[in-house]
Amino acid sequence: MKKINFRVLICILIVNTSIISFFLVSKGYSTVNEIDSEIGESPVIDGYIDLSSNEWNKATREDILLGDLPIILRVLQNDENLYISVQFDLLVEYHSLSEFVGLIISNSSSDVKEEFIDAKIIQFSNISKNEFSFFDYYIDNGNFLNDTKLDGDGEAKLEKVTSTYEFSIPIKASTADEQDAALDFGNTYAFNITYGETSIYQTGVKKSTIILINVKSSTTSKPPFTDLTVLIICIVIFSILGVLYCSYIYKIFRLKGNIKRIKR
Amino acid sequence: MSKIPKQPEKKKKSKQNHRTDEDFAYRSVLISAILGGIFYIISIFFNIEIISVFMNINIYWTIIDISLKVIIILLFFLFMTTSIGNYKELIGKPLSWKELLLLFVLSIGQTILNPLVFVFTLFGLVIILIYLYVVQEM
Repeated sequence: MKKINFRVLICILIVNTSIISFFLVSKGYSTVNEIDSEIGESPVIDGYIDLSSNEWNKATREDILLGDLPIILRVLQNDENLYISVQFDLLVEYHSLSEFVGLIISNSSSDVKEEFIDAKIIQFSNISKNEFSFFDYYIDNGNFLNDTKLDGDGEAKLEKVTSTYEFSIPIKASTADEQDAALDFGNTYAFNITYGETSIYQTGVKKSTIILINVKSSTTSKPPFTDLTVLIICIVIFSILGVLYCSYIYKIFRLKGNIKRIKR
Repeated sequence: MSKIPKQPEKKKKSKQNHRTDEDFAYRSVLISAILGGIFYIISIFFNIEIISVFMNINIYWTIIDISLKVIIILLFFLFMTTSIGNYKELIGKPLSWKELLLLFVLSIGQTILNPLVFVFTLFGLVIILIYLYVVQEM
């Protein structure tokens, strides 16, 4: 092979490897966590992600570290609610009977302690029997006080080693009061995801991390132009391929006829 | 010494061999095209995301999903290149770079919905092209 050709091939390989390694980096556990919520069908809040019905399929998925615990975070929204699921694998012996996962919600994108005024917590009373309760608190000077009205929903389930916590939080609820963080479309909010082993808040928190969630502006708007365009291009490409393939198969059968004729 | 000349027998044999080669090449064209078609249909299901059961479950299923999509497209490209190459040989023409480029573009076009599939497929296609180029050179 000519020397110049060999050099060109090596260059192509290097460029390809660089592009691939650039993409691989983004798949690791992220440290800077700003998540864009995705619009999709509302999941069933039952502590179970049903893959057969493509539940949470449209959600933004992030693999993040909660302290030293790797978790899968999914964020989804519709016209009414913001849905967040937290999923992680932990061996049975490392679970506490009364563990909990909570979302402490800031009233804005600020992560200043005073801004975190709302808490939604799924608290197990006996994890081995999957017994739990969902609590809605408002935070006053670091004290967790029961809301007079329960806003949102939460369910959890431990299956083998996988724990799944699902939350639903109302967006722009007309009934929202000062005891809840008033989530609104088009705004960013800081969420403190917490994991603990005893039902004493804040001291029972063992691991926590703050993420920013961008709530999309309008859920009723049409799908973005680019998404639709990409889908159309994709269908066009497959259609062209289909047509070319059929004409090619036709050519092959015609060739068979020609070969037979020449043989005769 | 035999009085019958050996030359015509040899010619007959070589003609028969030629015919067998033609049949073999034709079978290869047809089978490769059918396999390419099968992978094209599978690719429609996976790459337009009609089948999306492996997506968004966890990192391992995502890797399986991406690998499947990439492998399906690469196999489609490989079988179609083999088929078209043999077809061209049968009609006595070489496989031109224009046909190869069209096949390359249509293969890469199938990945448009997923950037990761795009990158890995691009990488795979380049490897296949390098392989074909090197084999040709040798």
